[in-house]
This record gives sequence, structure tokens and C-alpha cells, in this order.
Amino acid sequence: MTTDNGPEENAAWLAQLKGGDQAAFSALVRRHHRALIALARAMVGENDAEEMVQRAWLKAYGAVASFEGRASLRTWLSRIVINEGRMWLRKQGREVSLESLPETVDPLAARFDQRGLWSAPPAPWHSDSPEGLLMTAQLADCLERLLTGMPGNQRALLEMRDTDGLPFDEICNLLGLSASNARVLLHRARARLFGLVDHYQETGEC
Amino acid sequence: MLKCREFAGAADRMLEGDMRLRERLAMRLHWLHCHICRRYLRQLRQLLRSVPFMHGPASDEEVAQVMQHLHRQEKSL
Repeated sequence: MTTDNGPEENAAWLAQLKGGDQAAFSALVRRHHRALIALARAMVGENDAEEMVQRAWLKAYGAVASFEGRASLRTWLSRIVINEGRMWLRKQGREVSLESLPETVDPLAARFDQRGLWSAPPAPWHSDSPEGLLMTAQLADCLERLLTGMPGNQRALLEMRDTDGLPFDEICNLLGLSASNARVLLHRARARLFGLVDHYQETGEC
Repeated sequence: MLKCREFAGAADRMLEGDMRLRERLAMRLHWLHCHICRRYLRQLRQLLRSVPFMHGPASDEEVAQVMQHLHRQEKSL
């Protein structure tokens, strides 16, 4: 899944950003800060995430003039956060340890009968735009709770792959995960998210 | 013939393009026959397109905090 490019598709804006324009950098912060905080939380936890992202912004600020546009700005920023996170953990004698797979049940499992047919099929969803599906005010709190309660390894995969658009192989290398484990973790994270949205779409509650 | 459980278990991998031809054909065959799995796949695709937007933009306060921190760091260098 790819991350949208947003204003960086605009060459004039990108030139301003690379030229050190403060308003352009503020727009960059506005667009990506919360997603980067979410990524940092998945790596280092709630307490250290803000400070780590501040460090990442400082790095990005110093390096944005040399941004080459090979990846989207979100992906570029995410890589900076991940590198900061790794350094942060190393300094504290901690490792990026996301390999463990304690949860064994697929979140979708309860929706099928013994024959493997849907017993609780998904409800029809009503949303016109990608932005609209997950950004209703009512769903925001539920989404936050879901992400906070999600095992760190699943959350990291979801943020890196589906929010930030990092290539799958790169994520496996960064997190020291085998491809097969990473696929399982990502599937479970997506299934949890699907379950939340489906329930919300069906009942208006979560 | 795949079961719905197997289809749903592999659907996100199919959307990633991470699937061999034989398995893809089996998915396609099931998709043709099962309207619930068609809905599941359509909505999963919609969900994954939405995920990049799920955190929303930062507030004025958050942006100001980041920018102030940057300027403080810049001055101290």
C-alpha cells in the first residue's frame, strides 16, 4: 500500500521546502507529525516518542535540502524516525525486539464457522473517500485505543507498511523480522483494524 | 476450491501482489463465486487506502512546538 504524496507533488512547494522556507516546513510538520509520533510509539513506547520525533525533525530540517525524491517525503521522514529510534534504543541498552509472536489467534478466526464459511460476514460500508473512512471524530478515539492496545510488533508493521509506505523487505531488515513472521503480524494488524471499522460501520459504535 | 476463511486470510497478501500465479487463480475462482468475499476484498482495499490518513494533520499547537524547538536548536548551534 502506498502513501499519498500530498503537497510534495507540487514542484514549487518542494522547491520552497528545500530552499529553507519556514512556511513550507511547517506544512510538512502539520501533515506528517502525528503519523511519525505513531511510528515512534510503536518503536520506543509512549514516553519517549515525542522526544525522538523532535530529534528526527531536527535531522530532517538539516537534510531536507538534499531530499532527492526517490521515495515520498513520508517514507523519507519515516526512515529518519526509525534510525533515530534505533539509536535511541541502542543508547539505552535496548534493542528493537519485535520478533516475538505470542498471539496465536487470527483476529478474523471467530467470523467463520467450522466449514470455513463466513458466520459473521462484513457489513456493507458507507464512505465516499479514503480520508473519510477513518477520520470521523467518533472513530478517532476507538482507533487510538485499538492502536495503543495492539502488540508492538503488529503496530510497528502497520505503521511502517500501511501508514508510511516503506517497502516490505526494508521493514523486515529494519526490524530483524523474517518475511513469514512479518506477513503474519501485518495480516493480524490489518484484521484488527478491519474488525474495528466493520463494527463501527455496522453499529455506529465501537 | 478455497474456503472463505482461506480467502480472507490471504486477501491482504494478494493486494500486496505477494502471491504466486496458482494461488492467485484459486483466489480469483473463489472471488467469482462468493459475494461476501468480494465485499470483504473491496472493503479491505478501501481500508488500506485510508490508513495513510488515519492519524490526521497536527494541530497549530503541535506544529508551533516542533518549529520552536527547531529554532532553539538552530540558535544553540
